[in-house]
Amino acid sequence: MDRNRLRNQVASMRRSLFDQGYLDDQFIQLEELQDDTNPNFVEEIVTLFYNDSARLIQNIEQALNSSPIDFCKLDDYMHQFKGSSSSIGAKKVTNECTAFREYCNAENAEGSFQQVKQEYAILKRKLEVYLQTVRQASQTA
Amino acid sequence: MNSSNGNGSMSTASSSGAWDGRDQFPAGLRVLVVDDDPTCLMIFEKMLKTCLYQVTKCNKAETALSVLREHKNGFDIVISDVHMPDMDGFELLKHIDSEMDLPVILISADATKQIVMKGVTYGACDYLIKPVRIETLKNIWQHVVRKKARNTLLEIKY
Repeated sequence: MDRNRLRNQVASMRRSLFDQGYLDDQFIQLEELQDDTNPNFVEEIVTLFYNDSARLIQNIEQALNSSPIDFCKLDDYMHQFKGSSSSIGAKKVTNECTAFREYCNAENAEGSFQQVKQEYAILKRKLEVYLQTVRQASQTA
Repeated sequence: MNSSNGNGSMSTASSSGAWDGRDQFPAGLRVLVVDDDPTCLMIFEKMLKTCLYQVTKCNKAETALSVLREHKNGFDIVISDVHMPDMDGFELLKHIDSEMDLPVILISADATKQIVMKGVTYGACDYLIKPVRIETLKNIWQHVVRKKARNTLLEIKY
């Protein structure tokens, strides 16, 4: 694919991620931090987020599987998850975290967390494709 | 100066002399940033470096405290997350307050009035809510200047 077409694809994917509410202003903050000394900053941060949050998710699922559920610990993990996801501009994921912390109780905890995981997975796929296209566009002569 | 052990890690640029608050630009402000979340820590580091500050980062409050003790007068301001597993930001703030005279900014994803009040009552010079924007960090030098000015005033008074 030629450079212009790739660039247009990148622009359109990016616009769609914002328009559909997957990303917010904070993501733009990350983009603005990218410079010659850190040309892959956005990709590095996103990768770091997904690697680190995988660990968090494991902890959360463990907490959910314990009986009785330690809601204090759960809240702690979700608090960190929210801080992390909001820092990369993951709007929907952050909103699901907030909803979880507000409405979560013994009955709906499992289900509520599935919502968080779902948004998390959707964003991961979309960002993977988007960042791959960004990479391709920058590599094309 | 670079140290890492099994209990935590930190990394920093080379240290230099005290920051001259009279300089027109706050470049070179020596910031210690503490957050156990690696994503947030990396973003803070990049933002602070973009502000031309000299950044040292720690992922544990205990490590931060030893760094501060080892390098008295080596930092101008501390930025710390509140929720950390080993020692939370409030405890760190208490230690810093009693041992060193440094302005401390607390950061959290929590925005409840109670916790912000707690931060202010404990003596934090500011309380920021995540996600933090670079524009906010550009202004933190004001806390350093304000504290120095207040200290000078106290010295003159007494």
